[in-house]
Amino acid sequence: MIRRSKRSLAVAIAAGATALSLALAGCSPSGGSSSGADRPLRVWAGSATPVNENFNPFNLDSAVHATFGPIYEPLFFFNQLSSDPPVGLLGDSYEISEDGTVVTVTLKPDLKWNDGEALTAADVVFTMGYGPNKSVDMVSAEAPDDTTVVLTYSKPHFTGLSLTLGSTWIVPEHVWGKITDYMAETNPKPIGSGPYMLKTFSDAAYTVEANPNFRDGEPAVKEVQYIGIDSNQSSQDLLATGKLDWVGQFIANPDAVTGKGVISTLNLQQDPTVLVTCSSAEQGCTGAQTDPAVRQAINVALDRSTIREKAFAGLAGESNPAFLLLPRDEAWLSDPSLETSPQSPNAAEAGAILEAAGYAKGSDGFYGKDGETIDLDLFSPDGWTDYNDAAKLIAEQAGEAGIKITPRTVSDADYWTPISSGDFQMALYGLAASLVADPYSTYHEYFEGVSTAKVGEDPVSGQNYSRYSNPVADAAIVAAGATNDEATKQAAYATVQTEIARDLPYIPVVLNASQSFFNTKDFTGWPSESDLYAVPLPYTSVASAIVLTHLKPVK
Amino acid sequence: MKFYLRRFTFYVVTLWAAISLNFLLPRLLPGDPAQIMIGKLRRASGGRPISQETIDSIKALLGADDTPLWQQYLNYWGRLLHGDLGISSTRYPASVGELIAQALPWTVILVGVATVISFVLGIVVGAWVGWRRGTWLDHLVPITTIFQSIPYFWLALVLVAIFSVNLGWLPIIGGYDVFEFPGGPEWSWAFVGSAITHAILPAVTIVLSSVGGWLLGMRNMMVSTLSEDHVVTAEAKGLRPRRIRTAYASRIAQIPSLAGFGIALGFVVAGSIVMEQVFSYPGIGKLMIQSVQGLDYALMQGVFLVITITVLAANFIMDLIYGFIDPRARHNG
Repeated sequence: MIRRSKRSLAVAIAAGATALSLALAGCSPSGGSSSGADRPLRVWAGSATPVNENFNPFNLDSAVHATFGPIYEPLFFFNQLSSDPPVGLLGDSYEISEDGTVVTVTLKPDLKWNDGEALTAADVVFTMGYGPNKSVDMVSAEAPDDTTVVLTYSKPHFTGLSLTLGSTWIVPEHVWGKITDYMAETNPKPIGSGPYMLKTFSDAAYTVEANPNFRDGEPAVKEVQYIGIDSNQSSQDLLATGKLDWVGQFIANPDAVTGKGVISTLNLQQDPTVLVTCSSAEQGCTGAQTDPAVRQAINVALDRSTIREKAFAGLAGESNPAFLLLPRDEAWLSDPSLETSPQSPNAAEAGAILEAAGYAKGSDGFYGKDGETIDLDLFSPDGWTDYNDAAKLIAEQAGEAGIKITPRTVSDADYWTPISSGDFQMALYGLAASLVADPYSTYHEYFEGVSTAKVGEDPVSGQNYSRYSNPVADAAIVAAGATNDEATKQAAYATVQTEIARDLPYIPVVLNASQSFFNTKDFTGWPSESDLYAVPLPYTSVASAIVLTHLKPVK
Repeated sequence: MKFYLRRFTFYVVTLWAAISLNFLLPRLLPGDPAQIMIGKLRRASGGRPISQETIDSIKALLGADDTPLWQQYLNYWGRLLHGDLGISSTRYPASVGELIAQALPWTVILVGVATVISFVLGIVVGAWVGWRRGTWLDHLVPITTIFQSIPYFWLALVLVAIFSVNLGWLPIIGGYDVFEFPGGPEWSWAFVGSAITHAILPAVTIVLSSVGGWLLGMRNMMVSTLSEDHVVTAEAKGLRPRRIRTAYASRIAQIPSLAGFGIALGFVVAGSIVMEQVFSYPGIGKLMIQSVQGLDYALMQGVFLVITITVLAANFIMDLIYGFIDPRARHNG
């Protein structure tokens, strides 16, 4: 590491010196890339320069993107776009016992690490008991033979199963067994089981090459180069000039890059943007939004189709008050009326809801109660233009229904602090849809009482920033987490959906767009609308590796 | 000699004060920066425990250990003299010294040379425009100042759109071609050529956006110098115009610009933050943004220290040159 940096320092000085003594006298660079067969696939997965030399799969935040999926793999791949059963990677099949405490995984035969050593159940057992993977609920991890792993838990493990099987990165015992401080390790020579292995690294880009020991044989795309880029505009320019093949980012006018017929795009809408409200007066929230009637009135006053078109450039999708990802989670939708939030405004209904709750319109045209006009504060992070525009539209639309909302923008620091401490009324916020076709994690993270805290304190676990706590919903969420029985779960989720769609601690606005762009001229096999076998975003762990192994260069 | 000794002492004292201030600042800040950094590291690692060694080094660096302040101060100097600037928390576990060493050459060379080009160009052309005042050459002044008043990032984006995206003559990002040299910098003519082509557009944008100021200042000084007695005398003596222009007028007219140049050179290390962002150029301005955004105290301290030292060094050198060009400075300073 030190030797490398000294050398690159010396080279950089020399290069820069010559560079600039002659600056302005250069010649034009060679452009144009030929077919995909004789060159690496070039990806921007969102890394900025300088790229961090870190391939430690336990450093979830700071390790480079190729670590997760292309180099290290979990046992199974859970496709967040479909409700199909998970695809086996290292694992071939798994079973969970009736009471949910014993998980038995069968591995594929004859697996190898990329250094040629055998990958056995002992490695998986080692990984499950290593460092941060050691779960407090785990009683034991055993390997009765080379391809069988038995994990025993003290509590039902239904809800944790997708994490254990789908996001635990299996590491080799013969490497990590010698590493005691797994946090400080940068793992510059990663030994993994995935389709690719590290070839070269620099702080501007790194390249991975096909792993000859990969269980399904070397992938067809022999090299993948990950580039560090600091701005979206640069990445868009590189895409347009054919220098990049795969990017996931927002581009307001996608035609600018897809026009030449080289780059194709796919727009997926998954994560809901919501009006998060500090909803619970018992937990210490203050303001008119603590009254469910006010939240319900705002909900019907919104003109969501206008917001989608104007603030989100027509790219966002329709959200639903059950917070399901449709059509993936269709099996869990209890009531068809919850399939989508109202898309056009209904000021009359909003007025009726407020009047029924004892509010009356004042002389200024705004509703109020006991001589006090509803006056709500709504903030969004400065510079998130889609959010800022949406906030303005929401204020206008609510104003037409007689509800006064004042939008403002704040710096990033001023945005997160009040939301996490509860010192706010309303903010535009993004929730994350659950990664598997089961809304449990959404309900548990954002709606359950244990995931929140009193105003003034940060939630210890979970992200229930609306301070929502409803005993009926809580009991249903707990019940859903403790069973694997479909009918029981369905009934529990129906209860949750009724409660949260009525109480609206988060008022759904739109489903966020996420655009991916990929080169379909030089490489084929990308996911498409009709075959969404994985999320086509280069920064999504596991899914990006699944996409890479499906690709074929065009000869 | 006494002048140089006095200046030298002044700079040594200033340097000592700057470094000591750099030591004190995190200790004077409200809250406990060491705790913030440890908390940040812990969150970044998903709430997992951090090694005692790391915690100790963070505490030592940011002054949360229990030893008396003067002991910490001595330790701080000890580490500094060994070149140890601590560990970055945003780029954990990379060392700050290493990060700076990698970024510094790119910034210093590119921004430095661009600043020199911009200065020389501004002085030479400014002197000429001032000499030929009242002719069509005066139009150069508003033209160059327009470039200066255009927001830098916009100018850069327009040039990228024209020369890189549409014409394809110049690269879009980076300090060298990452597609040709996937392994990073290497010793070869091809690499040097690549670094040069990648430097052109950033350098041109810096020169375009800063030459106007030098040109305007020089032109105006030139005009006022030309009306001074000694120039009139020189003209009356019948000296050749070229000699009057160079030896009499422009030598004196450039003295105020030189003072400004010293300051501009000092800030070369601070980098052109916007330039580095637009071009993904591997320089130090970006480290500075990252450290501030990520509340990475160690990196912030390191970057600020390097900037302080270079600003002082540049001013010191300019002081010496100034004393050389303008004898008055030696006697009165």
